[in-house]
Amino acid sequence: MSEVRTLIVDDSSVMRKIVERALRQAGLDPLVVHEAGSGTEGLDVLKSKQVDLILSDINMPSMDGLEFLRQIRLQNLAPGVPVVMITTESSEEHVKQAILAGAQGYIRKPFTAEQVKERVLPLLNAA
Amino acid sequence: MLLNGVRRPAVARAQLAIKNEMERAMTVSLRESVDKVSDPRNLDASVEEVFHLMLGVDCQLDEGPAETEPESVTAVVGFGGLLSGACVFRTGGSAAMKIAAHMTGMEFAEIDDTVKDGIGEICNMLAGAWKGKVPELAANCGLSVPAVITGRDYNLHVQAPEFQLHHLYRFEDATFSVTIVCDGLQ
Repeated sequence: MSEVRTLIVDDSSVMRKIVERALRQAGLDPLVVHEAGSGTEGLDVLKSKQVDLILSDINMPSMDGLEFLRQIRLQNLAPGVPVVMITTESSEEHVKQAILAGAQGYIRKPFTAEQVKERVLPLLNAA
Repeated sequence: MLLNGVRRPAVARAQLAIKNEMERAMTVSLRESVDKVSDPRNLDASVEEVFHLMLGVDCQLDEGPAETEPESVTAVVGFGGLLSGACVFRTGGSAAMKIAAHMTGMEFAEIDDTVKDGIGEICNMLAGAWKGKVPELAANCGLSVPAVITGRDYNLHVQAPEFQLHHLYRFEDATFSVTIVCDGLQ
């Protein structure tokens, strides 16, 4: 697989590391990871870096994941790049909100590397 | 007849669907199902799920008393919506470092920001997993971002909660407690 440039947005640095490790275990290698601690930081990264995949938490201070998604679309950042939400919120309503905001995938925390692989690889192959 | 490119009956159907959804949300109540919400098995299942998937360890319920360490780490995630209250995760300093080490694959000699961050995230996942066990809660109860407290000789006091679940757990030689405090149920 060619280099996969990924943006991981989560206010927890530990979760960002865990997501990165899960992506590597899923076979995404070589992997270039850009990290952001909030939606606002995530938008800044997208203004200066090209990415192939975005994984974002929802429940974050300053700008949450759903607003981050809306801003990506509004500002036409990363067009065509798949976005997967990774969050503790798992109700049908939350999934619906994420899909409406523009997410292509949804992973509930806690998760396994296998679940990350199942949700992410098809999106990368289709992109 | 078209209204901004949409047929009027379609607009009316959409308005009716929104009205029905709002009415449904307004009528959801957990008052009648306190037993379901306060079922202690939901808490045990949530702990098992989070620790097994994120740390690769199995936890056992511990009879106690809780082991005391001079320094402890407490994470709190608030609930809001149909249920108001908090999920409180508390552990000793060395156990906190051990949990963070399992999460990250790193070793820790002190309770630094990464350890605090890891404990906050464990509490966040426990709160999410616990409320996810009751569908009405999953959809109608929000979570705050975690707050983490460290220090020595402190107690957490909650005044007259609606109900409270408090369990001690152990994995390897580390112990921790998880408390669900519900101080309001709609």
